[in-house]
Amino acid sequence: MERDIPTYSLLLLIVFVMIPFTIAYIYQLGLKKEIIWSTVRGTLQLFLIGLILTYLFDLPPLVGIPIMLSVMILVATFHARKKGKELPYIFITILVGLIGVEIIVLSMWLGFGMISFTPEEVIPMSGMVIGNSMVAMGLALERLKSEFEQNRGKLLAALSLGATPKHAAHMSIKKTLNAALIPNIDQLKTIGLVQLPGMMTGLILGGVAPIIAIKYQLVISISIFSSVSLSAIFISMVMYRFFFNKQMQLLNLQDIKKNG
Amino acid sequence: MSEAIFQFNQVNRLVLQNITFTLREEDRLIIFGPSGAGKSTLLHLFNRMDDPDQGEVLFHNKPIEQYDIPQLRRSVGLVLQQPHLFPDTVLDNLKFGPSLFDDWEEARAERLMDYVNLPIDYLNKSVDELSGGEKQRVSLARTLANKPDVLLLDEPTSALDDRNIEAIEEDLIRLIEHNHLTVAMVTHSMDQAKRIGTKGLYIEEGQVIEYGDINQLLENPNTEQLKQFLHKS
Ligand SMILES: Nc1ncnc2c1ncn2[C@@H]1O[C@H](COP(=O)(O)OP(=O)(O)OP(=O)(O)O)[C@@H](O)[C@H]1O
Ligand SMILES: [Mg+2]
Repeated sequence: MERDIPTYSLLLLIVFVMIPFTIAYIYQLGLKKEIIWSTVRGTLQLFLIGLILTYLFDLPPLVGIPIMLSVMILVATFHARKKGKELPYIFITILVGLIGVEIIVLSMWLGFGMISFTPEEVIPMSGMVIGNSMVAMGLALERLKSEFEQNRGKLLAALSLGATPKHAAHMSIKKTLNAALIPNIDQLKTIGLVQLPGMMTGLILGGVAPIIAIKYQLVISISIFSSVSLSAIFISMVMYRFFFNKQMQLLNLQDIKKNG
Repeated sequence: MSEAIFQFNQVNRLVLQNITFTLREEDRLIIFGPSGAGKSTLLHLFNRMDDPDQGEVLFHNKPIEQYDIPQLRRSVGLVLQQPHLFPDTVLDNLKFGPSLFDDWEEARAERLMDYVNLPIDYLNKSVDELSGGEKQRVSLARTLANKPDVLLLDEPTSALDDRNIEAIEEDLIRLIEHNHLTVAMVTHSMDQAKRIGTKGLYIEEGQVIEYGDINQLLENPNTEQLKQFLHKS
């Protein structure tokens, strides 16, 4: 028997929203509109997605899955692009990166028979991988920019000693990857101890035996970890080049777009 | 006359206008002038950290663009105004350049430390533990590690106090003579210009006002502009 939450008890969630709202009101945080708007928006989004998912899950997998994946990847690309709008080819690079990551994890999941090609399994699992990769790319882009900004002097010194852009940027890329990957490494280390991971929680609530839930969780955690690492490495490796011109000279952030 | 190492012909870049001069073997050219005159901009054209908008730069009588850029920067070494040392140890900094060209032997470290008058046991010191003067010395040694033929110095002593300045100047002169280096140096100190330089290039608002023997320039300036500049400094 599938579990469900009665609609009237969902309405009680409003009480929970009222708590931060009241605090915002009392302390005049100026967030009242934000809280209401994001609650309404989030709720509507979720119900809408629920409806769309119901519809897509009924389509043949070969039609529904590609549609849903394309939408997810496009939305993620638009979102991550904001973090690197100064850089040339940013949209296409993120798009290619996310498609690549999705192809890799999907081939692995299906190839090793970890999941079956049904929307119920492919879509939520891919969603987690794409979402986390998107965040990782955004983090890496922000960090890359600030590393180049902060280390201008060292980069100039390295170039003037005869370093190629690749050599000169090595240090900055290393720090960028560290920063982008550390949250994930930490998460992997404390998995199950600090918090029960979302997917496992979901499956257990849905009535799946914990040991099976753990297997799924293992697959998704490791997939997320690999794809996040891959995304951050990919975006940094492609994007650092644009901070230099062909004459191995360091560019200012505002000159990069012209050059690219 | 000795061989021309660098020839600038009618070079324009940002503020710089029609810069023309020749740097000959073992010249020690002092580039000086008011703040914003374009001195740093000019210095960066020698090793292609920047390129002219117009005009040409010849290196050993060949257009500078014809040289491999890393090799050019290796033989035309630039010491930046601020040391900008790389993380970790002094040794890591000294090795950086030569390692790029597979040309490092540990034995060179001691000689470099000697050139810039730093104790050998500093080699394994973290650069964070160095004083301003010591950092400047490491920065100089790091550039010398590449065994350059031409040395570009952008106000190498601007961050130092008088005692340190004198000591570094002595080391500089010694190692320039010992290695027969050709030098282009930016400085604000006319005393330093006199002590180190053989030639002078005075620029104002991007234009060459006077060019010639450094003592001649400093003692018998021809133009009103240079007379006024020297009077003020
Ligand atoms: N990338 C750039 N784009 C536009 N203008 C620049 C750029 N870099 C420098 N300038 C301008 O060119 C002029 C010369 O700068 P430069 O740094 O060469 O002066 P300088 O003679 O070295 O001055 P200082 O003695 O203060 O170091 C300055 O007016 C500066 O604002
Ligand atoms: Mg300058």
